[in-house]
Amino acid sequence: MISTPVAQDILKILSKNARLPAADMAKMLGVAVTVVEDTMRALEEAEVIVRYTTVVNEQKMPQMKRKIRALIEVGIRPERDRGFDDIARRIAQYPNVVAHYLISGAYDFLLIVEGDSLEEISSFVSDKLASTDNVRSTSTHFIMKKYKEKGILIGEQEVTERLAIMP
Amino acid sequence: MSMMLSRRVRDLPPSGIRKFFDLVVGAKDIISLGVGEPDFATPWTVRSEGVYAIEHGRTSYTSNLGLLACREAISGYLKDRFSVSYNPETEILLTIGVSEAVDIVLRTLLDPGDEVIVPEPSYVCYGPLVQMAGGTVVSVDTSDTGFIPTPDMLQSVVSPRTKALILCSPSNPTGRVIPKETLLELLALAVKHQFWIVADEVYAELVYDVAFTSVASLPGAKDHVILLNGFSKAFAMTGWRLGYLCAPPEVVAQANKIHQYSALCAPIMAQYAAIEAVKNGLSELESMRRSYEHRRNYVVTAFQEMGLSLHVPEGAFYCFPSIRETGLSSEVFAMRLLEEKRVAVVPGSVFGLGGEGHIRCCYAADFDLLKEALSRIAAFVKAL
Repeated sequence: MISTPVAQDILKILSKNARLPAADMAKMLGVAVTVVEDTMRALEEAEVIVRYTTVVNEQKMPQMKRKIRALIEVGIRPERDRGFDDIARRIAQYPNVVAHYLISGAYDFLLIVEGDSLEEISSFVSDKLASTDNVRSTSTHFIMKKYKEKGILIGEQEVTERLAIMP
Repeated sequence: MSMMLSRRVRDLPPSGIRKFFDLVVGAKDIISLGVGEPDFATPWTVRSEGVYAIEHGRTSYTSNLGLLACREAISGYLKDRFSVSYNPETEILLTIGVSEAVDIVLRTLLDPGDEVIVPEPSYVCYGPLVQMAGGTVVSVDTSDTGFIPTPDMLQSVVSPRTKALILCSPSNPTGRVIPKETLLELLALAVKHQFWIVADEVYAELVYDVAFTSVASLPGAKDHVILLNGFSKAFAMTGWRLGYLCAPPEVVAQANKIHQYSALCAPIMAQYAAIEAVKNGLSELESMRRSYEHRRNYVVTAFQEMGLSLHVPEGAFYCFPSIRETGLSSEVFAMRLLEEKRVAVVPGSVFGLGGEGHIRCCYAADFDLLKEALSRIAAFVKAL
């Protein structure tokens, strides 16, 4: 059920709008509502769909306490019998780490780290991250502004002025 | 005053859409399914090529036919996507949208009194442009065959003066796609009676769950088909005004004379943008197509649930349901829907024979608005 074309269509639609009712999706895809519901359940159970979440533009909500975010490049000292996955497991566990990737190039891990203040992130880097076994180097870049996230442009939307009636 | 104006122009019927247009313009809370263009902006990669062209001073005329690089790009694209082959040097002419292409093709083909067969309901420009070119429109009502023109119905109107048949597939306003077998029969008819098929295939990329066949790709089509296509619908480039005409070299050379005197060339920045569209725009084209397809499915189901009958549109972004059972004329239906429910659709009567009793709904609209519009139409129909 999770390898059907319908499942792929559902994933594409949900990744743009996770709140679209199953009934609407069924009409869009020309299948029964139960097919959509069953497929979604199967995708959830198989953990293909891990979670439904939101893309937030904090800039529009000044009263909200903003999280500070940083990108951290991490160099790893490889060790016999100890692969990247093993080291990553130790780092990714920290709640401050909101994303963690193994990448090619000059360093090994790219982390996105979140905290309530610069100090919180600084102390995470010095106390936790830099002192983790096999971590050779860290380089921290604080994020100043968000332009796009999960494929969605943040900020002013483009407005097209179409004529209401055209042959 | 009117005596100082051309009789030919004065004799043109006014656009049936005009009156309606004036009502809708200025009204604020209206949801419009009356548009005739994509709801996407042009893919960014294409837009940025246009900007690059402008920034680098590419703001001049091009050759009358258009930039050779652009014609080469189109030639390759047509071969890849539709298995048709046209020589970029002599068989492709870039025009200001497909609209200009229709105009100059008709002026190239027609002598006074020549007849052009137009299967209807059809896009609104064909008839008036035939008249402006001095020809006579021979309308054929296709509503009995699900808006697909058949050889039988055409056979009965072919005359020694028949110069051309206009085909628009996928169709505006019905969304129908003419099947390959029918195209083969229509082409055979054109060969037998020696007339041209003018194929407006501007919606060719927007086809759902059927395979699209370009009439120009059929064996023996080359000498009887003039292929018109453009970037507006496929690549969401309506405002760039870029279309093209593909035909044997003699036709292109003659059409180019009119084009050179009346338009000179298509906009150069649009030509540069178009090269990028066919080179790097195809994946965005596909995601737009999928998005239309989802909305097509939704709209078709919604109308079926309302009890309105329709021929499932296989292409373009229009749905053309019958509203005959409501007992209202298409114009009254559209007018009341607008006044009572604030939803704009186009009455089928403006598209010629066989259009009455239908409404055209464009589903290239934001999904939430589309859904709201359909629930308003459902409430309107139910209350009748």
